[in-house]
Amino acid sequence: MASLRDIRKRIRSVKNTRQITKAMKMVSAAKLRKAQDGILAARPYATMLDQIIADLSARAGDESLSHPLLTARPVKRVELVLLTSDRGLAGGFNSNVIRRANRFLYENTNLESIRLSTVGRKGNDFFRNRGQNIRKDFGGLYQRLNYRAAADVAEELVASYLNGEVDAVHIVYNEFVTAISQTVKVAQLLPLQTLGTPDQASTAGSTSLVDFKYEPDRQSVLDRLVPQAVNIKLYRALLESVASEHGARMSAMENATSNATDMIGNLTLTYNRTRQAVITKELMEIVSGAEALK
Amino acid sequence: MAKLTVEIVTPEKRILSVQADEAIVPGGRGLFGVRPGHTPFLSLMEPGALTLIESGRRESYFVAGGFVEVGNDKVLVLADAAEPVTGIDVEGARRRMAEAQERMKGMSSEDARFELEQATVRREAARIGAANTARA
Repeated sequence: MASLRDIRKRIRSVKNTRQITKAMKMVSAAKLRKAQDGILAARPYATMLDQIIADLSARAGDESLSHPLLTARPVKRVELVLLTSDRGLAGGFNSNVIRRANRFLYENTNLESIRLSTVGRKGNDFFRNRGQNIRKDFGGLYQRLNYRAAADVAEELVASYLNGEVDAVHIVYNEFVTAISQTVKVAQLLPLQTLGTPDQASTAGSTSLVDFKYEPDRQSVLDRLVPQAVNIKLYRALLESVASEHGARMSAMENATSNATDMIGNLTLTYNRTRQAVITKELMEIVSGAEALK
Repeated sequence: MAKLTVEIVTPEKRILSVQADEAIVPGGRGLFGVRPGHTPFLSLMEPGALTLIESGRRESYFVAGGFVEVGNDKVLVLADAAEPVTGIDVEGARRRMAEAQERMKGMSSEDARFELEQATVRREAARIGAANTARA
């Protein structure tokens, strides 16, 4: 049986751990709130951009709108971009993404090649340790996560799509559902799949179907809108991933904290029992000692 | 008299949503003014100063390129970035412009980054220009 001193030491150490997990939980809660604000703030722009694109395609009617980023071609080479975090201790946050990515690799062995690139240290470490070739690590994105930084990554991916290095780009990331739940999602970034369905078109768009003007012309506007939509898609995925990370870490740390509390309870019980046993033993020794002297 | 509803949004946040009598926008083919009743259209926007006139008062914002949609007395400005001209960090803009020019020196015009750097130079130059209109 463990000595009283050992148990006391153990209790102290678990208490320290609980202190840390509690602090981490609170830090994550604060960061989560900030990340959620970021998602909300990004919403108006994304909605309006979708609206404009939907209106534009609705007005185009039967005339075809063409843009290289919308045109799918036979898929032989694919790039998979993993969005993981730089730090661990976030429950299944990173391993879920990695597992999903592995499944993607298994399921698509018929492709000529799949290139990997990563955002976030965790995914990069995992595949590098397994000798997987990683084309590019977009490191340090989380230290300065703003639209510009996301757009730089998206533009790089667009460039390799346009020059034919890859025929499709997919992203794997954690979609933010609620503060305590995330779902892993694989989304196709390139070629862009939907241009907004016509029924999404606003009334403002449809009432002015006839003489809507474009400056300088429709194709030039489209040429700028489409890449913008790609940038926004990636930017939003990044924001969701960051919010999910903090949410996952928050609930992981919450669990750790309550586990530590349970453990302290059990240890305290054992401690008191042991203490009692020691006292009882000593008493018995005294009594039997006195008995022997009679 | 009817008023325009002007909204400026960037990917990061909604910058403003106000009523105005007139909006002067840096379009793809130069400045254009929008007043209530303007025909609906969609235009590209270049980096520059966007001015709102409300009851004779002028208020300017720097916008870093994007799109403008006009329709039903609404002006939707989708800018890559935007800020009030009074808040522009001119020193920072000069520095970023100089850095981009420095990086461009070693590049050929075919380089993939060339266009991006060029866009940076244009944007920062427009930002400085917008800041100057605020002082004038």
